[in-house]
Amino acid sequence: MAFPTDDALDAALRATVEWLRRQPDVRYGEVRFVEDRGERLRVRDGRPEQVTTEASRGVGVRVLGARTWGFACTADTSEGGLLAAARRALAIARASAAVARAPVVLPEQPPQRGSYRTPLAVDPFTVPVEDKLAALDGPVRALRTGDARLKSAEAWMDWTRQSKRLLTTEGTDLAQAFTYGACGMHVFALGDDGTSQRRSYPTWQGGDGFQAGWERVQALDLTGQTDRMKDEALALLVAPACPADTRTLLLESSQVALQIHESCGHPTELDRALGTEISLAGGSFMQPTMLGRLRYGSPLVTIVADSTTEGGNGTFGWDDEGVPAGKRALVEQGLFVDYLSSRETAAALGRASTGTMRAEGWNRSPLIRMVNVSLDPGACGGLDDLVADTDDGVLMATDKSWSIDDIRLNFQFSCEIAWEVKRGRRTRILRDPFYTGITPRFWGSCDAVCGPAEWRLWGVTTCGKGDPVQTMHVGHGASPARFRDVRVGSAS
Amino acid sequence: MSANAGADAPAGADAGAGANGEELLGLCREVLAAAGEAEVEIYARLAERGCARFAIGELGQHMELVEPQAVVRVAHGRRVAETVTSRLDRAHLVDVVRDTARSARLVPEVEGFAGFARAGDGDGPPPAVPPRFVDATARATPEERVERLAPVLATIRDAGLVSAGMLETTRSAHAVATTGGCARAHDATFAAFRVWALETPGAGGAAGYGGHVHRDVRALRLAEETARAIRVCASSREPASLDEGTYDVVMEPEAVTELMEWLAGIAFAAPEVEQGSSPLTGRLGERITGERITIAEDPLDASELGFGVPFDREGTWRRRVPLVERGVARAVLYDRTYAARAGTTSTGSAVLPVFGSAGGVGASSLALAAGDAAGVDELLAGVERGLYVCRLHYVNGFLEPRRAVMTGLTRDGCFLVEKGRIARAVGNMRFTDSFLEGLARCDAMTRERRAVPTSWTDAGAFVAPALRIRGWRFNGRSQERAIPVP
Repeated sequence: MAFPTDDALDAALRATVEWLRRQPDVRYGEVRFVEDRGERLRVRDGRPEQVTTEASRGVGVRVLGARTWGFACTADTSEGGLLAAARRALAIARASAAVARAPVVLPEQPPQRGSYRTPLAVDPFTVPVEDKLAALDGPVRALRTGDARLKSAEAWMDWTRQSKRLLTTEGTDLAQAFTYGACGMHVFALGDDGTSQRRSYPTWQGGDGFQAGWERVQALDLTGQTDRMKDEALALLVAPACPADTRTLLLESSQVALQIHESCGHPTELDRALGTEISLAGGSFMQPTMLGRLRYGSPLVTIVADSTTEGGNGTFGWDDEGVPAGKRALVEQGLFVDYLSSRETAAALGRASTGTMRAEGWNRSPLIRMVNVSLDPGACGGLDDLVADTDDGVLMATDKSWSIDDIRLNFQFSCEIAWEVKRGRRTRILRDPFYTGITPRFWGSCDAVCGPAEWRLWGVTTCGKGDPVQTMHVGHGASPARFRDVRVGSAS
Repeated sequence: MSANAGADAPAGADAGAGANGEELLGLCREVLAAAGEAEVEIYARLAERGCARFAIGELGQHMELVEPQAVVRVAHGRRVAETVTSRLDRAHLVDVVRDTARSARLVPEVEGFAGFARAGDGDGPPPAVPPRFVDATARATPEERVERLAPVLATIRDAGLVSAGMLETTRSAHAVATTGGCARAHDATFAAFRVWALETPGAGGAAGYGGHVHRDVRALRLAEETARAIRVCASSREPASLDEGTYDVVMEPEAVTELMEWLAGIAFAAPEVEQGSSPLTGRLGERITGERITIAEDPLDASELGFGVPFDREGTWRRRVPLVERGVARAVLYDRTYAARAGTTSTGSAVLPVFGSAGGVGASSLALAAGDAAGVDELLAGVERGLYVCRLHYVNGFLEPRRAVMTGLTRDGCFLVEKGRIARAVGNMRFTDSFLEGLARCDAMTRERRAVPTSWTDAGAFVAPALRIRGWRFNGRSQERAIPVP
């Protein structure tokens, strides 16, 4: 896996930064080369539904002029192309200054130099495509055998290699190369009465995302999961609906990860809290006046943003403003203590950036994005111990639908499957379960978190934010956890 | 055969910045000829977008974005591989065709693959394509966008409120060519304005929204929509907390199209129908919703509400497809492969893969037919006690797709209606209900319809009237004023 070594490109990047340095009204400029290579494979019902290779390369230029920002980009990576994009970005900043009431404040960042690359055991781009398709085709065929009600099955695998080079007018010069993967499968069962049920592995929404190589797909053991998935999908067709009630709720690890994503990751994005993401995503109930004062969760709830966790979708060496990766608590023993931030937004609070600015690609401007935002493990053993410790409750697994309001308070998530828990044992399966709550009350009701043995780092590949929307790789680590007095019900 | 590229579309540029559809088509043809492969399809697209995004009263993200894309598919018999690239230069694309051809030899066969489009494919002559290109939008400069936005920012500031939103001016060029002689080109522009007037910058509270899309940036109703956002925000202060329950509801087109986006995602495309998760699976010809409801894929709408590209990524001419007629499920959307497997013809619904997503089959320009109510006031007049909903937020339709059960929240204006009139603002409410069953309880819609930008189609907008639904189920509230904070 090589970093860009094209001499002409290198010269063009440097010339563009030098040109920006010479402009009297440029206070900061960044020139970011990005080259993406991707592979998307999808097998459905025994046929290849998608065999796609992707390639994209270009340069984004973000400029802070005398008062405000401008961004332009180009797929023409010649020196002429880059200089034209830089001129365009500066022209935009100058035009926008006419309506800027106050100059943007951007604290200086000491120059950064270095490189980062994803550790790999087996480079996925060296594995033949026919081997990858075979690794998907076998489980798909297995998922459809044995019962005519197993209507459709699909498995998929995505690989992305993103190489970045960031040069700034502050002297930062960074090279990074990321290899992201995702893999998963699902089966649909169709009942005689027309009802349809889905079971997925290991999660839904693109499967399990990670920053690693082919070895991670092999570890998933898709084939080893097919019998369980089929049994559960068929059982769901005849299962009773999850009764509407206020119950003790147990969530398996991937659902806790989704809960973190929606109800902690997004509301702790400082751009949302300050109001700059209204035009797509909304704001945040976690306002700056609440820092150090808001009781977000129970004392068992410590949520950490860590862009250094090996293998995480949100792991990197530096963000797209040249701020080094790091680790800091967002919620410490239930107390809200910090934000995901950028240099500009952190300065508004008199703080330092937590290094979370990332752009989807060369033709998008960076935004505050989640890194690996994870719940620290607790001391409650494993999921079986948690069930054994529960007299009466509902255990839910695998995200099915997700919805939360525009300041991240009222959420409702449904899952593919639930089990009733009675006197410390899983009992009957319940279909179409959902749970709903208000963020700080829900996390405040957390009374048990499983231990490190069942803590797992999950990856989201499709987190959407910005306008125009950008998707991003982010990570969430979690163990199974338990919440008291939660409203549950059924969509059916 | 080339579609109307727009009378004032520029010509003569390279297939780089500023290239139009005919130039992209020329590039595709050159690549096909030079690569020498027998069965190839190339879709080329170039979008150039000026995005002036403002928030907290400041124009903080003003961007010019270039989105070049070529999607190359090569077939060997029924073995098909695909490459997506951002480079629109001839030599690179020739290499891409050859590399993709090598991949195609390695993959299993696609059941039902019927080859790429041929010249003359289709049921008749090419459709009359409405003009979609306006030079003033294509040539909009940063200075023009700033000039147009300045009064918007000032008006909201003068109202004592906080502004947010975006003014976008986009030109796009599209072309598709196959080795079978299919050749299409198209040019379009899209101008969109979205504006919020807010009580607080990011902490929630009262909010109002306005929005308008048009091909011509000069025709955008900036002042009117800004006034609408301010009016709704001003009316939304000090909301009451309303009990959960079942309410008659009047929804603005912005709320209806949010639900339609999800309906498009779960209901109408052949893959979802085939896998059994769609409400239409096994129900074509049956009543699935109310008699008042007619939903069509309508990409060739020649009115101001139409933004559709006249052909899909496979080069199939798009056409009007009645999906639901007077409540009865009538049709499903197909690409060429799914159509061949189903023994029918493509509806022109092959969706272009964008980076990171699969593409597939889907609606581009969904439209809900109008009713006969004179306006929203007439809809409200028929509500004894209910809710008036301006927009929805974070709708999700995966709860029980077979019934189109969806959940989501109100946003940017939710009002209690009593005795036919708006009584007061209420806090945001969560609903969970079946959209199709709700439409079966729809008893009135407005004559006027609005095009509302969608976040994920290349067409740009879905079309709907305002409507009234009896007995819509609300099962939660956003209790922002009850948070235990200092």
